[in-house]
Amino acid sequence: MSVSLMVKIGNLTLKNPVTVASGTFGYGEEFSEYFDISQLGAITVKSLTLKPRLGNPPPRIVETPAGMLNAIGLQNVGIEKYLKEKLPFLRDKGCTIIANIYGTNLEEYQLLAEMLEKENGADAIEVNLSCPNVHDPRFRNKCPLIAQSPEWVGRYTASVREKTSLPLIIKLSPNVTDIIEPAISAEKSGADAVSLVNTFLGMSIDIRTRRPKLKNIVGGLSGPCIRPIALRMVWEVSKAVNIPVIGMGGICNPEDAIEFLIAGAKVVAVGSYVFRDPYAPIRVLKGIEQYCIEHGAKDVNEIVGSLVIQ
Amino acid sequence: MKLFDCVVTSHTEVAPEHFRLVLKNKELAEVSQPGQFVMIEVTETWDPFLRRPMSIERMFSDSISILYKVVGKGTKLLSSIRVGEKISVQGPLGNSFPIDLDFKDFFIVGGGIGIAPFPGLAEKIIRIRGGNLHVIIGAKTHSQVLCERDFREMGCRVYVVTEDGSAGEKGLVTDVLDKLKVEVHSVVYACGPIQMIKKVHQICEERNWICYASLEAEMACGIGVCLGCVVPVKYEIENEMMARVCKEGPIFDTRVIQWEKI
Repeated sequence: MSVSLMVKIGNLTLKNPVTVASGTFGYGEEFSEYFDISQLGAITVKSLTLKPRLGNPPPRIVETPAGMLNAIGLQNVGIEKYLKEKLPFLRDKGCTIIANIYGTNLEEYQLLAEMLEKENGADAIEVNLSCPNVHDPRFRNKCPLIAQSPEWVGRYTASVREKTSLPLIIKLSPNVTDIIEPAISAEKSGADAVSLVNTFLGMSIDIRTRRPKLKNIVGGLSGPCIRPIALRMVWEVSKAVNIPVIGMGGICNPEDAIEFLIAGAKVVAVGSYVFRDPYAPIRVLKGIEQYCIEHGAKDVNEIVGSLVIQ
Repeated sequence: MKLFDCVVTSHTEVAPEHFRLVLKNKELAEVSQPGQFVMIEVTETWDPFLRRPMSIERMFSDSISILYKVVGKGTKLLSSIRVGEKISVQGPLGNSFPIDLDFKDFFIVGGGIGIAPFPGLAEKIIRIRGGNLHVIIGAKTHSQVLCERDFREMGCRVYVVTEDGSAGEKGLVTDVLDKLKVEVHSVVYACGPIQMIKKVHQICEERNWICYASLEAEMACGIGVCLGCVVPVKYEIENEMMARVCKEGPIFDTRVIQWEKI
């Protein structure tokens, strides 16, 4: 039996519902030494900024039970170098590209979106309004992350929407009391999809020195330890919006990914587990197909949101 | 670089809390170079979540050895792995020690478990150059002096130094290095605590010697994507002022490191 794995985000068709979480896959080069990365539904690249960024001082990573904290601080090559040096590789491979963008203000987000569309630099844009390791100093008192304010999410979404016709994905932060509000705000302001979750703010202390283990003091928690919370949030948002949800948070195995699909995610992303197993995205993809076959689903969309509550 | 299932063919406690693990895999052994490292999966569960980066100690025809110290949960779990069991090993990763034939004398400086990447390097230098290899082994105390016999058997000139003076000289590896009369055109290979490497670097700077250090860093992926293991460098390496220990390293010419930021 053949299974259709195709899913749609806005007017973009992905050949299957598996991608990777931004920041865990670089620009694809390293992983292509392990497998043909064009097999994935999409490659979501590391956050791009207008100018290259050095990121935070090390140590940037600390392991925690069933997960890890990171405070990379968006070290990246910048949009120009991406377009010149990273994009051709991904295009040559035939990848569908989701470009994740980060701006320090609204105009930067707009510019990034315009540049990506003009240079054919992406097939969809994911707007990072939720990196926990950088702050827009102008809003620091009021709102450390754009994604923590439904009002700002709306304003940023609408502004980027004005500048691009590419499918627009808004990446949400789980560091909120209610994740439904910013999701609805993104939908109302023209987003084609929302992706969640970004990492949870956390910290870890070396009790011998009494110093934080991360130089940045706090960082974003990822890995299987966050999966149940991420799953709950994906379920809540999927019920509340009509646009596709890209679900992520601690997905390691096909079973984890299928949970997200059942909860309502149309696309799933493997995140920091690729650090442990570079083949994880492919295993997840094959496992989803196998699950569809075993459960008589001709189309993966039959699984999406199929949660039974009785 | 790939993922390999390796069979543990030997696993011995070489000193209190220090182990040597021999991993059988011909393909891995054949492509590994001194200075490179592997990422070892120490558990099938998710705690710890990440693999453990470990220097390759020596390369044999069909296996590699790893020398490690139990420092936390991951290495504790690793230490319980028995001969005959299989473990997942990713590698070889990173760059390797450069061996420039112009150098007259070669010095290896290893502090504590920092000696781990050097037996394989010593073997290669002796194979290529036939001698003139000096090895300074530093440890806290006599029971933790590692690989002394291995280096002597290879024909290296070995200097042992312990912090408590219970074996060899009393002091630090840098004290020994400082006192050595070395010709210009010598190269020093160093690995150990970062402050030790910094001091070795300073000694080398003063005397115009080259120093290659194997650096250690918290890392998640080992292949260059997570950007967790960076060190600040003075010049752009691969377009970046933050060099990845896993990719541009782990071996660095210490002159490129921005030491004031460490």
